[in-house]
Amino acid sequence: MPVGRAPGSPLIEHRNNASGFLGGKHKGVRNKMIVAGCDVGSLSAEAVFMENATILGSEIIRVRPKAEQSAKDVMEKLLKRLNLTHEDITFTVATGYGRETIPFASDNVSEISCHGRGAHFLIPGIRTVIDVGGQDCKVISVDEDGNLKDFVMNDKCAAGTGRSLELHAEALGIDISQLGPLSLESDEAIVITSQCSIFTELEIMHLLMEDKGIANIAAGINEAMARRVKMLVGKVGVKKEIGVTGGVSKNIGVVKCLEKMLATKFIEFPEDPQVIGALGAALFAAERAEQGHK
Amino acid sequence: MIYAGCDLGTVTAKVVLIKEDKILAYDAMAYKKHPKEIGIEVFSNALAKAHLSPEQIGYTVATGFGKKAVNYADAYSPEIVCLNRAFRMLHPDVRTIIDAGGQSIRAINISNRGKIIDSTTNEKCAAGTGKFIEVMAKALELSLEEVGRLPFDSKKPVTITSQCGVFAESEVITYVNDGKERADIVAGIARSVAGKVSSLVRRISLDEKVAMVGGVALNTGVVQYIEEELGIKLADLKEKPQIYAALGAALIAREKHASPSPKTHT
Repeated sequence: MPVGRAPGSPLIEHRNNASGFLGGKHKGVRNKMIVAGCDVGSLSAEAVFMENATILGSEIIRVRPKAEQSAKDVMEKLLKRLNLTHEDITFTVATGYGRETIPFASDNVSEISCHGRGAHFLIPGIRTVIDVGGQDCKVISVDEDGNLKDFVMNDKCAAGTGRSLELHAEALGIDISQLGPLSLESDEAIVITSQCSIFTELEIMHLLMEDKGIANIAAGINEAMARRVKMLVGKVGVKKEIGVTGGVSKNIGVVKCLEKMLATKFIEFPEDPQVIGALGAALFAAERAEQGHK
Repeated sequence: MIYAGCDLGTVTAKVVLIKEDKILAYDAMAYKKHPKEIGIEVFSNALAKAHLSPEQIGYTVATGFGKKAVNYADAYSPEIVCLNRAFRMLHPDVRTIIDAGGQSIRAINISNRGKIIDSTTNEKCAAGTGKFIEVMAKALELSLEEVGRLPFDSKKPVTITSQCGVFAESEVITYVNDGKERADIVAGIARSVAGKVSSLVRRISLDEKVAMVGGVALNTGVVQYIEEELGIKLADLKEKPQIYAALGAALIAREKHASPSPKTHT
């Protein structure tokens, strides 16, 4: 896993096995405290564990039918991998769509603040975070300390969200992970005229019937997605550095289109951009655990 | 002489064949392939039902979203004109037509002299359309017929808060996971569709009698909620709700043939 740097902190190192470090007891030992961030979104759930501003590890799973179960499963998975137990975690902050239904979380923070905080931790120079998740799209502007300054959000319409990309990939008969790479093979993106994701599905069906190339349709889907995100970005304004988080950041086609439309280059995160919300939650957990110990 | 009306909608294709004022045969098909081929297939099916050959058709008018794909059409006509034409013949007392199809919802006001005086349509969004109902039916693994019938078994309809069909689908799945009764979920869906259709109708004036056509009119649950929502009783239909536009197209074909004019693209 790549390595990130916190503001003013030494180089972060990843420790895949933290068990030796704990020595069983850490009660009241402030600087040996493990905290967790758990982000339960609409399509995926992520967990990040941290200790002294160091990321111990992260996990991503597809959501279960219930938010509570998703949270439990992703946490268990990471605990198991890092050889930890629930008792080792001092403080857990939940975030995301399902954050209020997670019983083991000590607190919850909105995903907007978490994405801002997480992105700023990795890239202190960041001022704009474009977070495109499964069921919403947000543009977040943060100040030099990583605090939330302004944000816009679309959560009324699926256009411009990961779920719509998933449906359109399905209509094309490919996996969502192929949508980005495939679109790069296109010689001319087909303009998708529908805004509604459901109508776009029908449009894709009609385009396939007309034997339009699948790569060109994929490029059209990504371009339409980028157009929607760009509209939202326009409402907050583009201030560098800019980073893209959330699942859609993994679609190279959308990212490239958006860079071109905004005439900018996005910053590269030293972590999986999908876990940045959970990372932010872990940072809030560390802060709150500190306060609790004072 | 026999005339044909072909309505290539966004989800289904329909053909109606008429002789004088009488419907000889009709056929409706959901899209599985290219609109052009579907247009031909549905036409052949209707001809076969009436034991006719294509040469016996005097004139054909095409309408609907895919009308330009009907390569055997002699002329085209807009949907609202076709709908009004069919209503003039079958229900001349109707003043407001609601047409809720696969992808579009329309509301049309007709003057007492039979002229279209106002109309409105949904834009950009699948909320309230047949496609919306289809997505929900698929999520619930129910047939469209069951989705139409089940609301009547509901005691406590759920509330679907999302307008967006994609988000409503995940809401529906959450309700299923929470162990809600299917009838209650389906009733919630029907209410959501009825609410969306009703709010569109309110943009024009609600002159009685009001009639509803299009595939969504087959969903009795939605129809009942629309009646409740608008506080009216919808007029009884004499024909299947999906074929009105195609019937109107066939009636227009008959008129165009009687007074021939150059191929028009109205």
